[in-house]
Amino acid sequence: MADRELTFEIFRYNPQKPEVKPYLQTYKLKETTGMTIFVALNQIREEQDPSLMFDFVCRAAICGSCAMVINGRPRLACKTLTKTLPARIKLFPLPVFKLIGDLSVDTGTWFRHMSLKTEAWVHTSKTFDPKAQEERMDNETALKIYEAERCIECGCCIAGCATANIRDEFLGAAGINRVARFMLDPRDERTPAEYFEVVGSEEGAFGCMGLMACDDNCPMELPLQMQLAFVRRKMASIGIGYKPGKGIKLA
Amino acid sequence: MLLQRTLSKSNKTDLYLDLVELASGLLLVGFLWTHMLFVATILISQETFNGLSEFLDKYYLSYIGIPFIIVVALFHFVIAGRRIPTRIQEQRIVWRHAKMLRHTDTWTWVFQAITGMAILVLASIHVWMVVTGWPIRDFTSAQRMESFWWFYLILLIVGEYHAGFGLYRQFVKWGWFPRKPIGYITKVITAIILVLGLAAMFVFVQLGGAL
Repeated sequence: MADRELTFEIFRYNPQKPEVKPYLQTYKLKETTGMTIFVALNQIREEQDPSLMFDFVCRAAICGSCAMVINGRPRLACKTLTKTLPARIKLFPLPVFKLIGDLSVDTGTWFRHMSLKTEAWVHTSKTFDPKAQEERMDNETALKIYEAERCIECGCCIAGCATANIRDEFLGAAGINRVARFMLDPRDERTPAEYFEVVGSEEGAFGCMGLMACDDNCPMELPLQMQLAFVRRKMASIGIGYKPGKGIKLA
Repeated sequence: MLLQRTLSKSNKTDLYLDLVELASGLLLVGFLWTHMLFVATILISQETFNGLSEFLDKYYLSYIGIPFIIVVALFHFVIAGRRIPTRIQEQRIVWRHAKMLRHTDTWTWVFQAITGMAILVLASIHVWMVVTGWPIRDFTSAQRMESFWWFYLILLIVGEYHAGFGLYRQFVKWGWFPRKPIGYITKVITAIILVLGLAAMFVFVQLGGAL
């Protein structure tokens, strides 16, 4: 295996230079033991092409920066071993997110927008007392919250989602999972109606068509199907009893 | 903040649409499977088949059932169809996306939309043929099957496909059961119904010349 010569076909485009149309560039590289796409890309950039743009920070599947489309699937470059792939490897940047150049995308803006839209912080009326003992939480609740918190915001679920690819406003699995996290949190004092305002629409829970590419492509293996279904059921039960305020007529 | 979005937001329409999609879908799957079981009574005997048909006529069940199902199907078409990308660019995105991802459930959804469209056309023709050839008896069905078996073969496959995967997807979306077993169960039921349908078709085509 280690003797293979890998052929990388990498998407090249720099939005700063729109006169150069997008194209695929081929690089050849000798495979080494334990090589990941992250290692391969660094080697290509160091030895063959310093202009190649791609993101990474932690190289240990924690930061979520190196997500890209590897042979058609959204994956983390640092977590994908070349030995699991054929000798010809095609790399594209993630769709949906703003393209910075080549394989690099800006997931930050999308996730910040999502955080603001879902108001992803604990809503509480209590004032924080630094001297008081921390409130206790039972272990089961803490573990449930932690399960949702494991999301590293890599964007693979969003890139794999057909709905997110065609509907800009859709929050996707990452967004709905985020809401689920706060719904589980007993410290969050938001009312059911307030949650309904946030995700009780096609932009949230009811926009999901159930294709489950998020669930199947999450590098952290988050239980996204169950999170999406949990929020959907919750929104349905809140929504049935929910009375929205009177609308304003335009004419 | 956009005026038109803000003023049209925060109502319960999206929830209701989702629930109508679910309810109409469940009704239609229930109808289709019952329908196929009824058709399969020809496997027992011609008398059973005719007897059941006469029973449904006598208590006006056919006359209530058929229009009701047509209305439900039209609702389902419009409401479930709202998911189908209608713009050419969206279509291109979805097709490219499905080809790139090579993900089973994404492809089954693409075919879900295609089979849905096919059913709209084919089932309309089927209803027209049945209603104009009323009543339903072994000989009317046998004649239809003998002449149009290829038509019914297509309708059977696209219908069962759409019902089976549609049911699976609703279970996935609402999360009442784990995903893998529910996929397996819906596939098994679909296979059984398909076999029953094919067997009934075979018997009808055989009967065709005899009646």
